Amino acid sequence: MAKKLQITNNIRRFRFFANEMTQKQLAEKIGASRQTIVAIEAGKYSPSLELAFRIADAFGVEIGEVFDYKIIEKEK
Amino acid sequence: MSYQEKKTIVSILTGLLILTYYCFYAYGKYQSGVVAINDLAFWARTMLLFIAISIVATIVIQIVFNILLSIAIAVQETARTGKSDDKEIEKTIESEMVTDEMDRLIEMKSMRIGFFFAGIGFIIALGAVALDYSAAIMIQIIFISFHLGSLLEAFTQLYFYRRGIKHG
Repeated sequence: MAKKLQITNNIRRFRFFANEMTQKQLAEKIGASRQTIVAIEAGKYSPSLELAFRIADAFGVEIGEVFDYKIIEKEK
Repeated sequence: MSYQEKKTIVSILTGLLILTYYCFYAYGKYQSGVVAINDLAFWARTMLLFIAISIVATIVIQIVFNILLSIAIAVQETARTGKSDDKEIEKTIESEMVTDEMDRLIEMKSMRIGFFFAGIGFIIALGAVALDYSAAIMIQIIFISFHLGSLLEAFTQLYFYRRGIKHG
């Protein structure tokens, strides 16, 4: 049975350590809108694999360091 | 509120304005007795005219909206930084108006809901003909359901921007 996953991220933390990079600066760096960054940080949107790699690349880290997942429940 | 949300609100207002105007116009013509409900050619011409008005109005309103928004961003940026750097302002406007994968996903999902609603309208219109209502009633139902479908699409977009969206 497939398990339900919740994707979490550490973008806010990475922005802080990247000299308090703003959401707008990150958005410009990865070619997305600020609205998308806001939604990803709030867990309202899970980015595509390509965008996730671009975000990780913007911070110079591996994708697994930025994004993580947790199992929230088992489907019946 | 993001650029996309503002743009969606503007398109909702435009759609509502045009649909309301059409309903008043059609009802007025019908009530005055100038046009018979079965005058298919008249209703077809009226709908074609309103489709043209709708396209032109949408384009004009979106252009005006983009101009006003650009001015607002430029004023805000100048007030914030205290200097008027055209390149910086241009960059800010471009970054505000960028369309990315989340916008495309929201557009795709809301469009599916809009078309589903319009499809239901088409089935109801066929049902009306099957129940011996005139063809003019059928095209009225189709026309209005497509407009309502378009409005529903815009409302759904707004909902997804507020609540978030998931793949799949």
